[in-house]
Amino acid sequence: MKGDFDIMGNRVLKILVCDDSILSRRQMKNMLSSITECSILEAENGEIAITKYKENKPDIVFLDIVMPIKDGLTTARELKALDADVYMIIASSVGTQNSIKEALTAGVKDFVQKPIDKTQLIRIIDAYLEGGN
Amino acid sequence: MYTQFFGNYLLNNGYITSEQLIKALGCQQQGYVKLGFLAIHSGYMTSNQVEEVHICQTHDDKKFGEIAIEKGYLTEEQVDELLETQTPDYLLFSQTLEDLGYMDSATFEEAFNGYRKKYQLSKDDFSHTENDKLLEVIYDHYDISESTLSKYFIQYLSLLFNNIIRFIGKDFTPHMAQKLECMPEGHCAYQTILANRPITSYYSSDDNTLLSFASRYAQEEFPEIDEYVEASVEDFLNLHNGLFITTMSNEYKIEMTLEPPVTDRNFKLRSNADYYIIPITFSFGTVNFIFEHLVP
Repeated sequence: MKGDFDIMGNRVLKILVCDDSILSRRQMKNMLSSITECSILEAENGEIAITKYKENKPDIVFLDIVMPIKDGLTTARELKALDADVYMIIASSVGTQNSIKEALTAGVKDFVQKPIDKTQLIRIIDAYLEGGN
Repeated sequence: MYTQFFGNYLLNNGYITSEQLIKALGCQQQGYVKLGFLAIHSGYMTSNQVEEVHICQTHDDKKFGEIAIEKGYLTEEQVDELLETQTPDYLLFSQTLEDLGYMDSATFEEAFNGYRKKYQLSKDDFSHTENDKLLEVIYDHYDISESTLSKYFIQYLSLLFNNIIRFIGKDFTPHMAQKLECMPEGHCAYQTILANRPITSYYSSDDNTLLSFASRYAQEEFPEIDEYVEASVEDFLNLHNGLFITTMSNEYKIEMTLEPPVTDRNFKLRSNADYYIIPITFSFGTVNFIFEHLVP
């Protein structure tokens, strides 16, 4: 079974949310916390996300596409090069054909279009816990 | 969306003043009975099913009834029945104007018929959010053929008004576009769509309007301006522009990208660009949407 466990034996997922919007990060954090036991790491751009990934090795990484400094698709490619097993999900309002193709090529597992709702996140968490691709 | 433009028609033809329009929009917002509420009340759907359809509506540019039928929650007959129960927006608007003493029903009928005649609209058209006639109404308000803005700009505006209805509310009236000479004071956020002919869209308003707009978008009450309020407006622009370039990619095979949104209260107009301003009056204040196109 994937994820870390707390002292009570509950499974705790480590999730990195990378989005330049402080509001989106808070909304994601609230939704994820209501779905599963998890500890949330936050990053406001791809560069910070890569640093936090190296330091914490999160179970799941949510990436926005449009961000300053380093965008989500570049970040996805770099994370994949760093760790072939990285579990990445794109969470963005941009769902163009090119961006979806690029995301899949970069090894992203799934794509959710903003505004994000809880049902989508439940599906993603379930798929991760079942070891799905 | 025709009802929103009808407010503009009443204003421009001297039927009501802008103060009366703002008051009527506020009262009208409180009077809406949503189709989902009626479906629960009629025993056709559970609250969970209604919630599920509402979530789908945030992603699909479809009406409540269409999605409910697709999911098998309602039949076409039930949707028709509920729509008959639901007061159409324009009737609710008429009732509000009459209740407030701004217009009697005969004057409303005269204005309403004049508006319908101008755009050759049937009463049924008023329940549609997307059709060719609507694009004509929008085009009539925003004939920018002389401008340097993209030919897809009418679709951009149509989606903008739909997104305002979805994420902010129905209680608004868009005004005519004007060429802008200097940036209005107050809050300013913007985002650029990178394409062959890049377009930058701006949100501009005073601080009280900003608080109301952000509170509605984020669905939480913001007492004062902070980074979450600023992020709400940036997120609205980003969401709208993201949905627009997604539509352009899927329907027209045109690929565009976005720059991150920016908040800059001291923004000054650039000399090498055209600017058009579209004020949108809500019950809580006026938001200016401004569009920039760099002149080659």
